[in-house]
Amino acid sequence: MAEVRLQNVNKSFGNVTVIPDLNLTVPDGSFTVLVGPSGCGKSTLLRTIAGLEMPTSGQVLIGGEDVTLQEPSNRGISMVFQSYALYPHMTVEQNIDFGLRLAKIPAAERKERVAEAARILALQDHLDRRPGQLSGGQRQRVAIGRSIVRHPKVFLFDEPLSNLDAALRTQMRVELAQLHQSIDATMIYVTHDQVEAMTLADQIVVMNAGRIEQVGPPMELYEAPQTEFVASFIGSPKMNLLPGSAIARDDVRTVGIRPEHILVDRTGGDWAARTQVVETLGADTIAYMVADGLGDVTVRLPGHVRLKAGEQLYLTPERQNLHLFGQDGRRMKEAA
Amino acid sequence: MAASAPSQVYSAPGRRLSLTERLRLGLNNGRISATLILLPPALILFTLFVMLPLGESFYYSFFNWNGYGVPTDFVGLQNYQRIADHSVFHVAVGNTVKIVAVSLFLQMPLALLLALLIYRKTPTNAFFRLVFFLPYILAEVAAGLIWSFVFDGNYGVSASLAQSLGTEPFFILADRDWAFVAVMTVIVWKYFGFHMMIYIAALQGVPEDLVEAARIEGAKRPQIVRYVLVPQIKPAIIVSAFFAIIGALQVFDLIIPLTNGGPSNQTHTIVTYLYTFGLTRLNIGFGSAVGVILFIVAITVAVFYQRFFMKRGQS
Repeated sequence: MAEVRLQNVNKSFGNVTVIPDLNLTVPDGSFTVLVGPSGCGKSTLLRTIAGLEMPTSGQVLIGGEDVTLQEPSNRGISMVFQSYALYPHMTVEQNIDFGLRLAKIPAAERKERVAEAARILALQDHLDRRPGQLSGGQRQRVAIGRSIVRHPKVFLFDEPLSNLDAALRTQMRVELAQLHQSIDATMIYVTHDQVEAMTLADQIVVMNAGRIEQVGPPMELYEAPQTEFVASFIGSPKMNLLPGSAIARDDVRTVGIRPEHILVDRTGGDWAARTQVVETLGADTIAYMVADGLGDVTVRLPGHVRLKAGEQLYLTPERQNLHLFGQDGRRMKEAA
Repeated sequence: MAASAPSQVYSAPGRRLSLTERLRLGLNNGRISATLILLPPALILFTLFVMLPLGESFYYSFFNWNGYGVPTDFVGLQNYQRIADHSVFHVAVGNTVKIVAVSLFLQMPLALLLALLIYRKTPTNAFFRLVFFLPYILAEVAAGLIWSFVFDGNYGVSASLAQSLGTEPFFILADRDWAFVAVMTVIVWKYFGFHMMIYIAALQGVPEDLVEAARIEGAKRPQIVRYVLVPQIKPAIIVSAFFAIIGALQVFDLIIPLTNGGPSNQTHTIVTYLYTFGLTRLNIGFGSAVGVILFIVAITVAVFYQRFFMKRGQS
């Protein structure tokens, strides 16, 4: 286990600066998720921590040691790639064992470690197979197994679930959370899926255009987003971002309200709205509406509520759950 | 209105289609028309320029015939007997085997080494790729003439070299022991670029993730090459070796301008032997017998290689 610290890290490719100047501390033993839209620099940052990219300037410290100039293999990290990066010509066992063989670990210990990883990841029956004979989820487990056996200080995951179908993704998410609990290692996980970020992370780092927008525990980001970007990125369905005129405040550029914090009434309320589309999800009903003079508003209601498309309704936001953003796009300190 | 007949033929699972059904299916999905349109040109050309000459060669190989008129002097297997007893043919076969060996164990490793150095897409690598590929573009006869000038002890580059070193000029192409070494050097120089390009194409198809994963696992460059890159391009290596072997059996037009098979018939390959002792001396029957032997060797190698190496490589 080890803390990971990035100090004034800058990464440019030619004239294009992907990460301008970034400082971040990943606490020892935490599950930190880097989240942000495509092209925001999160994978580049992960690769910089791994040593696959050299920072243009700045330092990378793992466990207090400056590893900026060290080879990836000397940093005490392991990485699970989006594509899994399994060697197709090797069996599952050989794939998991590869790093140990290179490190010249004695055969008996190697066998023991591979067996242990296979047991944790339920791969015992697949050790003789090749990656091409495995399902997506099994390949993912092999990639994780390859990481586990090396006993790294830090695990890095680069969008490891993005190639899986929805059901398998949910299952693997749970397995990853269990894995983190059982081995208690520092894990840094890159995703553009905010649901993965919310469910897995102790700490979420929201990135936008190479900069960190906000760092904090998932619920802190959910309940008190510091910028409009974080407000719009964290949460599903997204937070409604409406003009300040929605609450008659000229000093407020944007007012945010989560879909579950809006009350719906057929007789009266603050905003008149017409239902456009209704999604019935079972536990929840999501209604996409257009509020007069305000634009699109999404509302989350209990599953038993039945609405019809085209229905005229009234919406009232819960005052205590309004998020106010000033002219600079940052959260205003005062309450609504 | 009556319902029209279905345009597709469907069968119950597990039931074999009858011949009529298969024909109808073939007609409907265009396979039969495609076969009828596309197959004849290739089949006619192959028959005219490969199968017929081959059959004729096989026929002529049983005659003592100078190529004029109709062959009448039937000699049975005498031509084959003469070839088997001819010491120059033994030299030619030995030389061909040497070319195969040099192609497999020197040319291909050299090509692989260079491919590993320059397979990444950078402007510098593109320049070197072009430089290394240039000899392959050059016509064989032109390459042979260029190298015969290089090796010329009187006026060539080697003459200038000997002069600058203050040594006696060395006529390597006239030396019985060294002439074929010079020939093999030219062959390696001429064809390594071709194999290098095959490897480069294959290496560029290896996902970079695999290399990066190996780096993280602690693999150094030689280990990445051994455990990741080479296994990944194994099918390309197998194909390249196939080309090297078949190419080695056919070497001809480099040797004619370089040595013309000399000195003392020491640098013949099977094909130059055929040309020299068959065509130029108007022993068409004898030359045909050499051609038949060469064909049998080539087809045996090709079939054996396809069966045992290429299928294994694909699996």
